[in-house]
Amino acid sequence: MQLLRPESVEAAAAALGNGSVALAGGTDLVPMLRDRLVSAETLVELKEVVPRGVEGTRIGAGTTLAELEVDPEIPAALREACALAASPQLRSMGTIGGNLLQATRCWYWRLDFPCFLHGGSRCHAREGAHREHAIFGNERCASAHPSDPAAALLALGARVRTSRRELGLEELYRLPTEDDRNVTALEPGELILELDVPRPEASVYLKAMDRARWAFPLVGVAAARFADGVRLALAGVAPIPWRLDSETDLDRATPLPGTAYKVELARPLIRRALHSVT
Amino acid sequence: MSTTARRLELGRVGETTRRVDAIPKVTGEFAYASDLFAAGMLWGHTVRSPHAHARIVEIDISQALAMAGVHGVLTHTDVPGAKTYGLEFADQPVLAIDRVRYFGEPVALVAAEHPEQARRAAERIQVEYEPLEPVVDPERATEQEPLHEENPTAGHGFRDDQRPNVLRSIAIRHGDPDAEGEVSVSGVYELGMQDQAFLGPESGLAVPDGEGGVDIYVATQWLHVDRDQVAPCLGLEKEQVRIHLSGVGGAFGGREDLSMQVHGALLALHTSRPVKMVYSREESFVGHVHRHPAKIWMEHRATKAGRLVNVRAQILLDGGAYASSSAAVTSNAACFAVGPYSVDNALIECTCVYSNNPPCGAMRGFGAVQSCFAHEAQMDKLATALGIDPVELRLLNALAPGDTLPTGQKVSGSFPAAEVIRRAAELPVPEAEELPRDPIRLPGGAGNTTHGQGVKRGVGFAVGFKNVCYSEGFDDACAARVRLWKGADDELVGEVHCAGAEVGQGVTNVILQVARTELGTENVALAPGSTADVESSGSASASRLTWMAAGAVRLACRDALAEFEAGRSAVDVQRTYHHPRTAPLDPETGQVKGDRVHVAYMCAAMRVVVEVDVELGLTRVVWIGTAQDVGKALNPQAVHGQIEGGTAQGLGLALMEEIQTRDGLITNASFTDYLIPTTLDMPPVEAELIEEEEPDAPYGVKGVGEPPTVVSTAAVVSALRDATGSELARVPVRPDELAGL
Repeated sequence: MQLLRPESVEAAAAALGNGSVALAGGTDLVPMLRDRLVSAETLVELKEVVPRGVEGTRIGAGTTLAELEVDPEIPAALREACALAASPQLRSMGTIGGNLLQATRCWYWRLDFPCFLHGGSRCHAREGAHREHAIFGNERCASAHPSDPAAALLALGARVRTSRRELGLEELYRLPTEDDRNVTALEPGELILELDVPRPEASVYLKAMDRARWAFPLVGVAAARFADGVRLALAGVAPIPWRLDSETDLDRATPLPGTAYKVELARPLIRRALHSVT
Repeated sequence: MSTTARRLELGRVGETTRRVDAIPKVTGEFAYASDLFAAGMLWGHTVRSPHAHARIVEIDISQALAMAGVHGVLTHTDVPGAKTYGLEFADQPVLAIDRVRYFGEPVALVAAEHPEQARRAAERIQVEYEPLEPVVDPERATEQEPLHEENPTAGHGFRDDQRPNVLRSIAIRHGDPDAEGEVSVSGVYELGMQDQAFLGPESGLAVPDGEGGVDIYVATQWLHVDRDQVAPCLGLEKEQVRIHLSGVGGAFGGREDLSMQVHGALLALHTSRPVKMVYSREESFVGHVHRHPAKIWMEHRATKAGRLVNVRAQILLDGGAYASSSAAVTSNAACFAVGPYSVDNALIECTCVYSNNPPCGAMRGFGAVQSCFAHEAQMDKLATALGIDPVELRLLNALAPGDTLPTGQKVSGSFPAAEVIRRAAELPVPEAEELPRDPIRLPGGAGNTTHGQGVKRGVGFAVGFKNVCYSEGFDDACAARVRLWKGADDELVGEVHCAGAEVGQGVTNVILQVARTELGTENVALAPGSTADVESSGSASASRLTWMAAGAVRLACRDALAEFEAGRSAVDVQRTYHHPRTAPLDPETGQVKGDRVHVAYMCAAMRVVVEVDVELGLTRVVWIGTAQDVGKALNPQAVHGQIEGGTAQGLGLALMEEIQTRDGLITNASFTDYLIPTTLDMPPVEAELIEEEEPDAPYGVKGVGEPPTVVSTAAVVSALRDATGSELARVPVRPDELAGL
């Protein structure tokens, strides 16, 4: 395995064209390389090419979660979501760009079951233990998206600038389909460079988890109030970060037997989040 | 300077002494087994089964052998001696022969210059498996094909149970098992599989001695029983295998069985190089036994006044693929099924089955944890049915010296069950903190999920007990050796040898405190534990080592001092201490075939305050108060430490810890997915030590490792029931059980 350290976005994008893998903080990638979930002959380090730091409403994709969680310029929902992600060591290394692309914790996927997300024909979670899994968008794959910051950014209406285009965060994510099992719309070699995060009047992130700290969300709720209304987004409830218009959208959830509790849990959590920002 | 140093009081029996390993562990200087190094050493790696149950058709090691840096690849054909081993029954292959019976079972070994080379070579070993239907449901196991052609545990004096896959079954018939009461409550309770989750993964270093023998430096719980299992597998005499204790990063029962000992030695002898093996975190989850998952039915019959008349129980334990110490766990689960209560009639049946689930064996509390969860839920249920205060009901039935246990053993010595109940109940419960408060002090913790909405408070209570030392006729003696000589200034100098494993419980301090007390000097050192220097100490388990090591060290010190004072200038004595003899249970009736089946008992009671956000299902354990029957606290601060740690481990089982399996495969083998409590999840513990000396024990000690764990799972769930009104018959109780109540 070799490590490339390109000095321009163009060079990085070119190096990524042939099956090599981008390396930012490495907190998600390195364990996956070790577990053979990702194979790569070449790692392309992004440190020199992806911006880092906060400027106005713009956040470099290379900014670490630890930097964001203490920056008073950052909206509360994102700060709180960053502070609640992982552990201090991981937050010191992990970048916001990498966090948006974080792989699911679905055991079946992590253990390399031939599941739908891995290109197989069925979702093993649907028929097995799945209390951590999805209640929305779970027909083909019931994995849950683990990112707290992604839900916060979705509620905040963040836009993403990549090496090729600009798009809303909602457009970055897609449910896996028969033809394309990816959960993001990024093309091969496309890099997330920057986020533009509108300033809300108020925002909050609430996270229900299995212990008091350092656990993935069972359900995370981000709410952001803007002049034209409140935007809501949830973590841990779908294969991708999930937007809801209101609590009543929960009536359209399609929980599995073992995830029905997430609907019950999300309801009061959404109410509390709304109460907090209005 | 030297005069000052000699006057330093390091602490005698009964005084708080600072743990000798405390500062090195905190500063990172303590050498754990994973820190071992030897010049020219190779790294060993274990190839493990990806199947829970499969036939091995063929193993091809040729590609792996040809890889750079690889010095050896071994399979079962390379095991020179006994092909199987085991703590109690030799039913586990050193390396799988023609069949694998659990996910992660060792199949082959690799030694290479670099750990990554060993790992990559391991991936090139081609094992052709023919998957077999796994036995994963313990309730169906007794009707499925036997996993062991010949029942390994047959012929050991257990009840004759011909059902397939029965590892051990036991029935305790006490009084009239059909006796009726005026009131009856029953329930079915379940416990998930808990992991010891010690932070130091399995690791060790095997060094060939150049004369055909081997030295093994390893993190373990019982050096001599390791040696006694390793030597036959290597085809060596016991003296040719020397086991030396290396730094142990936690054990909790999970290091009673062998991990890398035989494997490392095989590779070292094969390559004539030192070989180091360190398990990864994921590997550690399949590399040791776990706490038995259990399904327990219980019925309590009582008078309207609250006196227990009859307790009936059926307990099913999943032992996994190999026996380990399951037979003893089965006995414990049955013997303690009623709790520390007096009852004239009982019928307790307990069955442990083989399955293709991860092997289960020793873990802190050892069968008593499972039973306590069930009998305490029953006592709460009975209190509700009778309209009696739950503490009063327990006091009314508390077992006392002179009473008879369901096994027929008459309680003798110290048994302050009523006292621990009273003292725990008297501890003042803290007032609810005012709102608003920092969300970190509310259910949901750092998740900021409530400012008080949905929060209800509950108070729970539980009582439990367990045996100290080994039981059923087993003589788990402990040896100590003491050397004395005159040092500079003609002062007495002592050197103590004891193989008792320091696993973090603080036995090192206990040994030194006893030696200082008995020898009357501060000039005492404890030599490293090794099978080469001293006879067996028995295991660091069953809460026994303080009692046994104190007994042995005291005996050896007294005899050595007597010789020394008789005029010998240098003495070297070894003495073996035996606890009072126990007797086995009758296999058909479960009644003791002598005075006692257990040496002595430890009681504990615990009161727990929780807050539950009943809308979200999130919890916070606010406060824990406990009274523990410790006999005599030799090092009080360490006793409190054990109580806090043991309580945390039981709280983990109550609220979050569970090994998840799918068709026998562990799906959450990491600390990312197998959650253990953080300091935020664990409240302060107020502990009262009940020091009622045990007449048969040195200094009146008992043990303290296990009772807090036995009782805390039950106590935490009792409090959750009080807050929610929900039955909560299964642990762990996680938010999915509580949300939307």
